[in-house]
Amino acid sequence: MTSIGAIRYEFPAGTRSVRELAATGLLESTAETLESLGFAQIRVACEESSYSLALAASTRLLEESGVDRDSIGLLVYGGAPGGLAFAPARELASASREVVSAARFRYPSTRLQYDLGLERATVLAVDQLACTTLFGAVRVARALCVGEGIERALCVSADMYPPLAGREALFNCTADAGCAVLVEREHPRNRIVAARTITKGYYWNADAMRDEIVASYFPTARHLITETVRAAGWSSDDVDWVIPHNVSRRSWEILMGLVGLPRARLWADNIARDGHTLAGDNFINLHDALSAGTITPGDRLLLFSYGYGAHWTALAVEA
Amino acid sequence: MTITGSILVTGATGLIGRRVVASLLRRTDAPVVVLVRDPARWQSIAARLGAAASRVTAVRADITLRALGLDLRTISRALGTPSLLIHSAGDIVFSRSLAESRSVNVEGARNVVELAYSFPDVRLVHVSTAFAVGRRTGFVTERDGPDAAGWVNAYEQSKYEAELIVRSSDLDYVIARPSTVVCDDVSGTVTQVNAVHRALRLYHAGLASMMPGTEESPVDVIPADWVADAIVRLALTDAAIGRTIHLCAGDGALSLGTLLDRTYAVWSRDTSWRRRHVARPALSDLRTYELFERSVDLVGDAWLKRITRSLSHFVPQLALPKHFDTTHARALLGDGAPPVSSYWDRMLEWLLASNWSASLPEAA
Repeated sequence: MTSIGAIRYEFPAGTRSVRELAATGLLESTAETLESLGFAQIRVACEESSYSLALAASTRLLEESGVDRDSIGLLVYGGAPGGLAFAPARELASASREVVSAARFRYPSTRLQYDLGLERATVLAVDQLACTTLFGAVRVARALCVGEGIERALCVSADMYPPLAGREALFNCTADAGCAVLVEREHPRNRIVAARTITKGYYWNADAMRDEIVASYFPTARHLITETVRAAGWSSDDVDWVIPHNVSRRSWEILMGLVGLPRARLWADNIARDGHTLAGDNFINLHDALSAGTITPGDRLLLFSYGYGAHWTALAVEA
Repeated sequence: MTITGSILVTGATGLIGRRVVASLLRRTDAPVVVLVRDPARWQSIAARLGAAASRVTAVRADITLRALGLDLRTISRALGTPSLLIHSAGDIVFSRSLAESRSVNVEGARNVVELAYSFPDVRLVHVSTAFAVGRRTGFVTERDGPDAAGWVNAYEQSKYEAELIVRSSDLDYVIARPSTVVCDDVSGTVTQVNAVHRALRLYHAGLASMMPGTEESPVDVIPADWVADAIVRLALTDAAIGRTIHLCAGDGALSLGTLLDRTYAVWSRDTSWRRRHVARPALSDLRTYELFERSVDLVGDAWLKRITRSLSHFVPQLALPKHFDTTHARALLGDGAPPVSSYWDRMLEWLLASNWSASLPEAA
């Protein structure tokens, strides 16, 4: 059995309210619409880079958890690719030329191993999973903890947009953050009881298939959640808390209705104040719900996320 | 019943009405007068009835007018005294306002009842709908009306109000309450596309996200030929006088979950469709579905809004499960509607083969 041993995250210094974003033309919908969907403000990078957010989150995790760095046998990275990872947000546009130069071999994952002093950790990177990237990293970590006897694996994601990039994706307000998750083989808390993922490659051309993708979201999410709960040996009544990805509160209310869970079991405090930080959401929320004491030992948790286009994923966790 | 005079039929150009006329021509020797707004339209239907169509006379009429706008002396002179009047005309579009639905369905019934009083000893057969009981759930008998929850759409309400007009008359009447017609007959052929077919098309296109209802909710549907013939048989049965009769699948209905599974099984025979991994629509309670509808209204694109609105007058019934009592229909007719399992798959195959034939007329 593997567990989530620790979580830390790093937000950039900047914030923007939904109204500020609308005023600067970074939203497709009106501020009022997004506010009615549960968004108030988002975290916005300017001087930070994707790498700096990943490094800060990871460093904090290692320092505050006191874990022996030599016990970490795997680093799974899910942030920006080489060439883009090291540029501050305000320079991202000009940094994109590095992607097609030899600079692309400056990999953030290997640098992170070096900077963190994880000398015994091998490195993998996961990509193309959109908002389910960190779930994908945890999935790989679990498999290698069991398959290769690795004691601990550090999973890291970092997402960041250039300053002038639109901040709305399908009526969700997207935000910047780095997040680090420690997966452990032997840890008494936050045991991963079940994990399920669905990939529908048919939706690979996401832009062109928006209507079909939107239609498939709820039924597939419901199916996956039901399967995950069943795989955990639970019934839906057993789920104490749903730890969401920070898409609109309205869509979560619908999904909670579909899976037959009362809305009161949705831990949605961060949707308004942080926005949708893409890959980090569920784990940032889990951290905050644990820190707030809302989740108590033994609580049964369901984490669900969706990677735009093709990926639905969930974890059943016993706190 | 022995037919001594002519038979008047309203709605003869409609899906049910044209089949009612065909059944009358098979089962009686009486002259038939179809009261239609557009006699030319009737001629195209008559052409498919063969030689028997010579017994049919088309007369221009409009049920929204008093006496249907007819000159009764002319009618009587030309056609003799009617002994049977089958009223199958109506506005079956679910999205109409209540005023619009009433103007045709309620005022139409009132005008038809008044017309019936013009003739001695005429029997009136009024074609209503099983969904006149609106939001009522559970086992629904033919004595039942709506409960306090009311109706899903103005069509249902107007059809119930029309029933009240017929019942309050002292005519010899029969009220037939058909369920939702989904195909012509057990071959599965569809000649009128309705909300059920549009919902199925959305599912096939991978665009049906949610629908209200449970796996176990019965979905009562029937084929047009059976219901039309049943209406005529009831019209000719003295024991049906003063009764309201369900023309429904009843025990032969399939559950929503079974219908979706069978639909998936038929469509997934096509490898390319199966590879798309189209999700089965998620079933939800009505509250969750309405929240979804409101969200689409708030953030959906124009296309999705149009689709969702078009279904909004129909799909709530899926979350209001009804088991229609068909005891009396079986006793009077000696049989029941064909079980849905005997034609559902063929209907899907027909829809696929015809690509939901865009040339077909739409209803509801």
